[in-house]
Amino acid sequence: MYAAKSVSGGIGLGLIGFYLGLGFIALLRWTLGYPEPWGGEINIIGGYIFGLIGWLMGVGMWGIWGREWFGQRTYPRKAPGWQRYFTFNTDHKVIGVQYTVTFIIVFLLAGALAMMMRLELANSGMQFLSHAQYNGTMSLHGTLMIAVAVAAVIGGIGNYAIPLLIGAEDMAFPRLNALTFWLVPPVAVALLSTPFLGGMETGWTAYPPLSVTTNSAQIMFDLGIITFGLTSILGGLNFLVTIMFMRAPGLSWGRLPIFVWAIFATSWIALLYTQGFAVALLLIALDRVAGMAFFNSTAGGDPLLYQHVFWFYSHPAVYIMVLPGFGMALEIIAHFSRKPLFAYRYAVGAFLGILGLSGVVWAHHMFTAGIPNYLHGPFLVATELISVPTGLVFLSALGTIWMGKLWLKTPMLFALAVIFNFGCGGVTGIFLADVPTDIHLQDTYFVVAHFHYTIVGGEIFGLFAGIYYYFPKITGRMYNETLGKLQFWWMFIAFNVTFFTMHLPGVQGMNRRIADYQSGLDTVNLIVSLSGLFLGASFILFVYNMINSWIRGPLAGDNPWQVRTLEWQVSSPPPLENFPTPPVVQGHPYDYGVPGSVHGVFPGQKLGGVPVVGGGGGQ
Amino acid sequence: MAVAASAAHGHATHNPVRFNRLGLWLFFFSESILFGLLLTTRFFLEGIEREHVDQHLGLAITIILLLSSLTAFTAETAIEHNNQRVANWFLMATIVLGIIFAAGVGFEWKTAEFSRHEAFGSVFFTMTGIHAAHVVSGIGILFLVWIQLKRGKFNSKNHWPVSGSVMYWHFVDVVWVFFYPALYLVK
Amino acid sequence: MHIKHLIPAAVLWVIITAVGELLVIANLYPTVGSLEADDFDWIFRFLLAIGVPVFAFVIAAIVYSMYAFRSAKGDEMGSTIRGNGWFPRIWLIVTGGLAAFVMVFPGLTGLQKLQSDRTAYGWGDTEADVVIHATGAQFNWTFTFADGTEVNIIKGKELVLPVHQKVRFNIDSVDVVHSLWIPAFRMKIDAIPGRTTYMTVEPTVKGSYAEDQSFRVQCAELCGLDHSVMNFPIRVVEKPEFDQWLASLKTGAK
Repeated sequence: MYAAKSVSGGIGLGLIGFYLGLGFIALLRWTLGYPEPWGGEINIIGGYIFGLIGWLMGVGMWGIWGREWFGQRTYPRKAPGWQRYFTFNTDHKVIGVQYTVTFIIVFLLAGALAMMMRLELANSGMQFLSHAQYNGTMSLHGTLMIAVAVAAVIGGIGNYAIPLLIGAEDMAFPRLNALTFWLVPPVAVALLSTPFLGGMETGWTAYPPLSVTTNSAQIMFDLGIITFGLTSILGGLNFLVTIMFMRAPGLSWGRLPIFVWAIFATSWIALLYTQGFAVALLLIALDRVAGMAFFNSTAGGDPLLYQHVFWFYSHPAVYIMVLPGFGMALEIIAHFSRKPLFAYRYAVGAFLGILGLSGVVWAHHMFTAGIPNYLHGPFLVATELISVPTGLVFLSALGTIWMGKLWLKTPMLFALAVIFNFGCGGVTGIFLADVPTDIHLQDTYFVVAHFHYTIVGGEIFGLFAGIYYYFPKITGRMYNETLGKLQFWWMFIAFNVTFFTMHLPGVQGMNRRIADYQSGLDTVNLIVSLSGLFLGASFILFVYNMINSWIRGPLAGDNPWQVRTLEWQVSSPPPLENFPTPPVVQGHPYDYGVPGSVHGVFPGQKLGGVPVVGGGGGQ
Repeated sequence: MAVAASAAHGHATHNPVRFNRLGLWLFFFSESILFGLLLTTRFFLEGIEREHVDQHLGLAITIILLLSSLTAFTAETAIEHNNQRVANWFLMATIVLGIIFAAGVGFEWKTAEFSRHEAFGSVFFTMTGIHAAHVVSGIGILFLVWIQLKRGKFNSKNHWPVSGSVMYWHFVDVVWVFFYPALYLVK
Repeated sequence: MHIKHLIPAAVLWVIITAVGELLVIANLYPTVGSLEADDFDWIFRFLLAIGVPVFAFVIAAIVYSMYAFRSAKGDEMGSTIRGNGWFPRIWLIVTGGLAAFVMVFPGLTGLQKLQSDRTAYGWGDTEADVVIHATGAQFNWTFTFADGTEVNIIKGKELVLPVHQKVRFNIDSVDVVHSLWIPAFRMKIDAIPGRTTYMTVEPTVKGSYAEDQSFRVQCAELCGLDHSVMNFPIRVVEKPEFDQWLASLKTGAK
């Protein structure tokens, strides 16, 4: 049992490492003459780091990579069948599935926490949670969902699809790719340990000084998120090298599928800005553990420093979340409209424009934080400027469906919903970018509704679009279309009722992150809660459909969607290293209906003496 | 991280060193933001104020670190010309100079006249500490490379681990070129 | 060929916009208790009036396309327009113009008003009639008047403000970041340890928390365990009544 060996090795070495780390720090403290060898959180940090290394080595990184550092021969761990999903596997398709399944599980878990919150908030007064429990639930929901939003599409769908879309046999750094995935389970363990340490009470934003003075759950959050940031940076780096150097011959930048462009722009953001989160949380950890004074105003520190550094990452982070959603939606919309992607160059320009602007808008999260008056104007202008490149995404999407032949399969419905939802999320963004309205709406449920529209509406719908779209390619089997459509309409309607209604309590004076609210807001909250629970139920259908179809679904064939891009020209599921004969690209991926056009050909592959031509587009 | 990556798959058209080099550069971009934010933190909290620091020690360790970049460069040039003996010695010199630098930082920490419980101290210890952590990891990587160099694993055609670790060493050095004036010379 | 589709799509757009614009008319807001609240409601409605057609355009385009351009089997090809011509440029000009418009008005003009010294509210250095020092602490507010009178959860139990007077809050915090928000006044500013932030408001109507829950100081920045109940009632009264109340607190202290 390779899988059991891998997982038990990882857990075993991880635990050994954890206790070694605890002891190591204790020894260090004893040597340095501290009165107590047990210093609390400092020991936990040591344990976590040692445990992390132990886990990675145990799960298979040692044999496949670590030995090389010491000049020894490496040996790959070849696991058959389903077992490969539980080992340090370097195949990008395996890693893509590992990411997707892991984050769907995290998504469902965090969704269950949201259900608890909505039950608590169904009426004013406290129902069944204490204030501490509510804050912990809310913080954990936020943190886990942020993790899902940052990594699910780029890590899951991106890892699976990017090498296939560009005609490469794998990512540029396959072992690094495996490493980015296997760093994720320790993150989950760290975050899920927080309820047992008293529960986080700072939300995912972790503003000091509260995050410095609060309970030890904070340090697990810090460690988990810094690790998670590392996976984000390394993943982004890997995508960039892959996209720059591993495109098939002929696949010029102007022919790149739009989803690849989206991941390209996203990877830059992840690579550059994620360090901001790491620095912010590092400073918090230092304040906590070493008694430093970064955020201690009585000793020369400044709490606003954190907010600047934190939002310097966390605003670009929303584009890490949303750009892959846009890319997925545009990709699917073009294929299912059977039409060239409208204004392709403008869509690419939109992604690059957002990439460029993402780093200069962060202080709009701080309009009411007492920043100097001269900062408001520039950040207001920069923020509203972002609506221009975002508008180009809409141009591309709406122009593509116009006069197309829309094949309204489940992925297409989800892709269209991305555009619909983001329409609402984009418009409400204007209210928050304008300081005179933001001054009231800041930190209210209006903001909560807005970012659920953009992130869930814009990205999670894109994630589902991607999952349904690639399901036949990943599994070789077709999902149940009726159930898929039913889930779409169920989720779409419940989502819109829940979050459109949620704007109202925000305007009327309900601030966010509260366990209790004024009795005047009872009715509207009850509606939101009921609709939210309805939304939660829709995912049961999804899980059933996926599991059932993976086991019993009808065989899908190589190209069930009759799509032109490279990944659909190989078998479902694709073989190891993807393309038995390397593809050569001769045309644009979206030239549906253009006579004689081809996207990819496989020169080495012959059927009856004729080179096989990819793509079903050109009649 | 990207130092030891491989793309040794069936399609033999790719050049792994080219991949590694770009990957390493991207990693430097990312790290620059980390160090840039620490610099920003320093000026955000303290403006151009500075506590008293040991100028002689600061200058000495700076010169040592700059020298170590020179020896690292010589080692890389030597292995490019297949001169394993020179590469071996100069890589070892780099490691030794790096250790002296780290020890210097340690001494600075021990003799510092300010406390970590106030803003300048926090900034100083964090910036030098994060930088020193990079120096120590660089020493570790150079050491692993040095062992393999001694075993004769590298030559003029195949020496990416030497080049990569030396690039990393230069990067850490460049960071100090920014940190040193911000911590020692300002005002 | 486009015209055949453009007209019904445009009609759909107009209908959805008309329905959506009902939101502009609807009263979605809490009590208008201050000058800033007046401006907020006006700007909110103005942005809504501009935003609804934009969202309606997206809805109309999607809904119409899903109906008119649907294809049952996916074996037909769509038209091959690529959008490299004039249309994207027009789009860029229109969206860019809209963004610039909203940026300037009500964005920068509203901001200018908010920060101006002459306006009676906001973040300008306005001469105030009443100056109150507000201190946030987990999980209570303390308000100190210029004459040293303190109001908190034990003493006074409510904050009384005079109507039609400029009230300036100087705000700081003793522990973590809080935020002083008064929904009826639509004003908010964070309380940061080590800094004094401020805001000026001018109440325009009388009211009290007992009758209207939007008359309250609410902490709007997560500050820990009891954040959700960190609020404080406000009562807005005529000036003489306010003076009387302030004096009564003073005598009560002696």
